[in-house]
Amino acid sequence: MLEVKDLNVFYGGIHALRDVCLKVERGEIVTIIGANGAGKSTLLNAISGVVKPRSGKILLDGQPVAATPHGVVKQGICQVPEGRLVFANLSVYDNLMMGAYLRSDKTSIIADLQRVYALFPRLSERQGQMAGTLSGGEQQMLTMGRGLMSSPRIMLLDEPSLGLAPLLVETIYQVIAEIRRAGTTILLVEQNAYKALAVADRAYVLEHGIVTQEGPARELLHDPRIRQAYLGVKQGQTRVG
Amino acid sequence: MAQLIQQLINGVSIGSVYALMAVGYSLVYSIMNFSNFAHGGVIMVGSYLGFYLLKAAKLPFPTALAGAALGAALLAVIVERIAYRPLRTRSAPFLYFIISAMGASMFIENFVVATIGPTFKTYPAVFSRMPFEIGPLYVGRIDVLIFVTAAVCLIGLVYFIDRTKLGKAVQATSFNQRAASLMGVNTGLVVTLVFAIGGLLAGVAGVLFGMKYTVYPQMGGITIKSFIAAVFGGLGSLPGAVIGSLLLGVIETMVSGYFSSNYRDLISFTLLIAVLVFRPIGLMGKVTEEKA
Repeated sequence: MLEVKDLNVFYGGIHALRDVCLKVERGEIVTIIGANGAGKSTLLNAISGVVKPRSGKILLDGQPVAATPHGVVKQGICQVPEGRLVFANLSVYDNLMMGAYLRSDKTSIIADLQRVYALFPRLSERQGQMAGTLSGGEQQMLTMGRGLMSSPRIMLLDEPSLGLAPLLVETIYQVIAEIRRAGTTILLVEQNAYKALAVADRAYVLEHGIVTQEGPARELLHDPRIRQAYLGVKQGQTRVG
Repeated sequence: MAQLIQQLINGVSIGSVYALMAVGYSLVYSIMNFSNFAHGGVIMVGSYLGFYLLKAAKLPFPTALAGAALGAALLAVIVERIAYRPLRTRSAPFLYFIISAMGASMFIENFVVATIGPTFKTYPAVFSRMPFEIGPLYVGRIDVLIFVTAAVCLIGLVYFIDRTKLGKAVQATSFNQRAASLMGVNTGLVVTLVFAIGGLLAGVAGVLFGMKYTVYPQMGGITIKSFIAAVFGGLGSLPGAVIGSLLLGVIETMVSGYFSSNYRDLISFTLLIAVLVFRPIGLMGKVTEEKA
């Protein structure tokens, strides 16, 4: 469904992504794991049209994706940015409606709003509140709900568990599984490799802008090198948790 | 007492012209985070347009006002395209925008001096100069017109920003351009729109100001007053810009009325410096409430 071919991105003199290739099939959860600064967010921003690649191709169903961020959203690719980028100056409801900015089908927008409220009952309780006054976890829920409001075919999630309490991380990951079950394809970027690999079908490991490993998520979860580098588990130990 | 109320009325009249100018500043500031000093030139051109549409084309006043507003909006959009967009696409530093704005401002002013000439022009009398007499008070017809026009424009603007989908997109873009673009908002178009709205109001302000006083190439300089008002109220906040403008208008007329008009600008600038020192975000400045 989504295919990235030989993508190269530069930030000034820094080669942020080198010949990155990646594929996401319909209905899959694919995760990209890697350390801070490995180029994970850059990859999502290149797909979203926020960052212009130097070379390479980004294809959706075999066709090149639009070059502008709003064009990409129109094609059904929606990024949920990292760091809970909510519109602090708008209400929770207005934030959600901003997600549906390009849609005009009133009845299905309302249906999707109900669905988001069902997934995150907290947002429904706080719909009139300014988004800037929400807690960190609620803001993460809001950015995800806002992303769903665009009714995306594929969702790009950037570090959804960043800085959240363990219980909230659990909730967020249940919702991610739920979103996939409802038919949305997901490309998930995470530093929390354990959580990401547990929910994903396939995974890519990004190191200094290069894909160093790829395969079924379950295999990578048991790969000794991955376990040591990203899961903080020494060989021979088993992770509890 | 009567004199005080009289000064208050005069102050609100000039203050509402400042408000029309100041919201243009504030809107652009809230999206682009720089002060668009070319705004004064747009106001001046709007004023000239109104003058010629009334005097030479002999159009009725509402048509001339609309024509001047549309012309000014077009000029504001052209300035954005030529002077700011190339900088924006390259994410140039903030200082470049200011310099570019000053360049555009000087260009517009000198273009008018070179083509139309430096002399003052007086608007034809559209309305009777006879003021309304309410008890001991005199209220100029022009002052009523200014106040009503400004109020209608500002209410329309607030409705647009707060109640329409596009208005929400403007607010979202002003908070975070990248996040807005990820929602599918064409942020380039929002920027154009904001300049067009600012220009529209600038054109109206130019005509009203020209009618009350005169038209001349350097009249854009009075936008420095609306800039003070915008800072006073809090740059980036629309209600702040309006309240700051009305306050400034009232303070100025009070100073002129009770002390001397020589002190008027002195007091305005002292006020600006005092606000910047003691409350840099202004009366109602944008405080971004972000939780960690």
